[in-house]
Amino acid sequence: MKRTKLFAALTALMLILAACTAAEDGGAATTEAAAGGGDGGGAAAGGTLDAVRAADVVVCGVNDGLPGFGVVGADGTYSGFDVDFCRVVAAGVLGDADKVEYKPLTADVRFTSLQSGDIDVLIRNTTWTATRDGQEGASFLFTVFYDGQGMMVPASTGFTTLEDLADANICVLSGTTTELNLTAVFGARGIPFNPVVFEDNAQLRPAYEEGQCEGWTSDSSQLASFKAAIEGEGGDEQFIMAEIISKEPLGPVVSDGDTEWAQAVEWSVMATVQAWEFGLDSGNIGSYSGDNPNILNFLGTDNFDPGLGLSSDFAIQVVTQVGNYKEIFDRHIPAIGLSLEGSPNNIWTDGGLMYVPPYR
Amino acid sequence: MTTETQEPQRRNLARPPFYRDVRVIRVVSQLLAVLVVFAIAFWLVNNLISNMNRLGISTSFDFLFGPTNTAIPYHGTFDPRSPVWQMALVGIKNTFLAGFFGVILASVMGLLVGISRLSDNWLVARLATFYVELFRNIPPLVIIIFFGFAVFTFGPFPIFSESWELKVPGSVNNFLIINNDRWGIPGFTATGALVGFWAILIFGVIVAAYVWLRRTKHFERTGQPHHRVLWFTGVVLASLVLAYFLTGQPVDMSWPVISENRRRVDGGFIANWGWMSVTFALGLYTASHLGEIIRGSILAVHQGQSEAGNALALSAFQRYRFVILPQAMRIALPPTINQYLNLVKNTSLGTAVGYAEITALTKTSVGNGRPAFQSFIIVMAVYLTFSLSISLVLNIVNRRLELESR
Repeated sequence: MKRTKLFAALTALMLILAACTAAEDGGAATTEAAAGGGDGGGAAAGGTLDAVRAADVVVCGVNDGLPGFGVVGADGTYSGFDVDFCRVVAAGVLGDADKVEYKPLTADVRFTSLQSGDIDVLIRNTTWTATRDGQEGASFLFTVFYDGQGMMVPASTGFTTLEDLADANICVLSGTTTELNLTAVFGARGIPFNPVVFEDNAQLRPAYEEGQCEGWTSDSSQLASFKAAIEGEGGDEQFIMAEIISKEPLGPVVSDGDTEWAQAVEWSVMATVQAWEFGLDSGNIGSYSGDNPNILNFLGTDNFDPGLGLSSDFAIQVVTQVGNYKEIFDRHIPAIGLSLEGSPNNIWTDGGLMYVPPYR
Repeated sequence: MTTETQEPQRRNLARPPFYRDVRVIRVVSQLLAVLVVFAIAFWLVNNLISNMNRLGISTSFDFLFGPTNTAIPYHGTFDPRSPVWQMALVGIKNTFLAGFFGVILASVMGLLVGISRLSDNWLVARLATFYVELFRNIPPLVIIIFFGFAVFTFGPFPIFSESWELKVPGSVNNFLIINNDRWGIPGFTATGALVGFWAILIFGVIVAAYVWLRRTKHFERTGQPHHRVLWFTGVVLASLVLAYFLTGQPVDMSWPVISENRRRVDGGFIANWGWMSVTFALGLYTASHLGEIIRGSILAVHQGQSEAGNALALSAFQRYRFVILPQAMRIALPPTINQYLNLVKNTSLGTAVGYAEITALTKTSVGNGRPAFQSFIIVMAVYLTFSLSISLVLNIVNRRLELESR
């Protein structure tokens, strides 16, 4: 009898404790993360630039499973278009492109990671949207890749329009804008469909290849990279529908509330486009001998300093160590089947959207 | 000698100063502990809120009433414009479905395996041991992924458009549709109002429970066999038949049919591969643990009980059913509660095979801009509710089973 009473009392206590902790557990997680970030990455209001300089390393959130944009090689090194822009930031801010610590992140934790100060900058094929800008405490910087969502189907099916996929299973990654666009576009056209949602492309791809899904929707760049991979490994021929169903501007993201750091990252990144526009690349930027005053400013001749908190030769560091935008693009993107010609990623003087403010 | 020992004793009777008084120290230390806990909790929450405010992240729960904007896998009827809390309800339902059927599968398999391990039959005992060692030593996530991908994605089943349709002999109706994505089995569909039907049925169950009690009393009074399970089932079935005909046959069979474009299963009950993977994987995984618990509990029942059963010429089944298992269950129940709780919590791994349970849906929702902290606080509350409910029910059962302590 005594035991019963004790038990009842314990249960009551547990219930009370549980009710209290339900509201607190979330708190514990964040504060720890924020505290952890304070000494390492340091996303505390302002001061990220100083914190990064003090730590002598840029902590960069990346994708580790997207060919062309961010992959880990067999030897554990990261490479890809997004990864190169992490290197650009390190070269611009610290003068050494190798001073990057990569943090592989899944789509659904990337913003939390940024908010908590776990990473200094997020360059992980992340689409700039109003909701994310407004609600995630994130600042989206210069768009480095203009993408759009497409739909891939096995070529043998002969499907060419979204209507061909009525009622079909469509593979999509969770926690992405892709999922929202898919629902919105199919909903608007009144096409019923069934999403099959995966957390990771490593699980999505076999499901698609084995015919569990009839369509695979994602950013066109991703589809192109997987089309190349599937066909290259002897899989069925794939077809990417001509229709682009969304705008997906991808670029670096930093935490809200630290404009000094945001400027440093943005101008480091934009230097790659400026160099391209000036016709400077990793081979010739060190030996420029002309007298174009804009270029001389850009190269930091006579210690020209616009007050961005970067060293005057940051552009030289960025371009010699990593390359200009076109070099970075050519290194990674044509391999997955996309070209610069005719795409919005071309320089504005050739009809693209790559346009940066003047450096003067 | 006596005077010497009495002297200090008398001094002890005087009340010590309050800071050495055990009763005061007890109360004060507990109060202090509570205060410290609350202070830390307050500090953490305060820290969280000020950090979120600094970053301009909303701390409200208003997002629950905004539109979901994403479709839910295998829930074609879910309107993406419905509010987020409705999406959460779908997730809770799916967590429940996987947990509920997983628990049933785990219990049945666990009992079989536990008894088999103690079998005198060499082959049966070895097979059960193999089963336990296999499943107990693999992480549940791996088993789920194995089921999802080895059984369905890469498994022997055809793709949707080439589904196997097993017909009821001599009929065009399917009793089973099998492919690597969704299975269909016959179900029921309402063709009229069901209020009367349910009312009669519930009344029938109450009558059946009454009959159960009467039969038990009868048995206790006369010692004649009670057959209460038979009586109970009989009454329930009779009321079911009665309800069906009295209310004008308001329920009809619904046969699973593949749609003309061969991309949908219409009618019947539909099970998707994610649910099947999670339920089977967790059911079989937990069964390996339950099997060990049950084996241990059976071994803990005194050998003499079994021998006494033998001496009474009980069959092996009767010995287990009436002598050993009732005592073993008493020992097995507390650790079994833990296993059930684990199973329900492990359903959160279903996200690996795209099963739309509450964790998976919340992750999607958070990825789409809904605030992470508030969302996961809700998820935690959901799991807590599930766990506490299971604990509550099983603890009541446990108390009923417990021996009265003398």
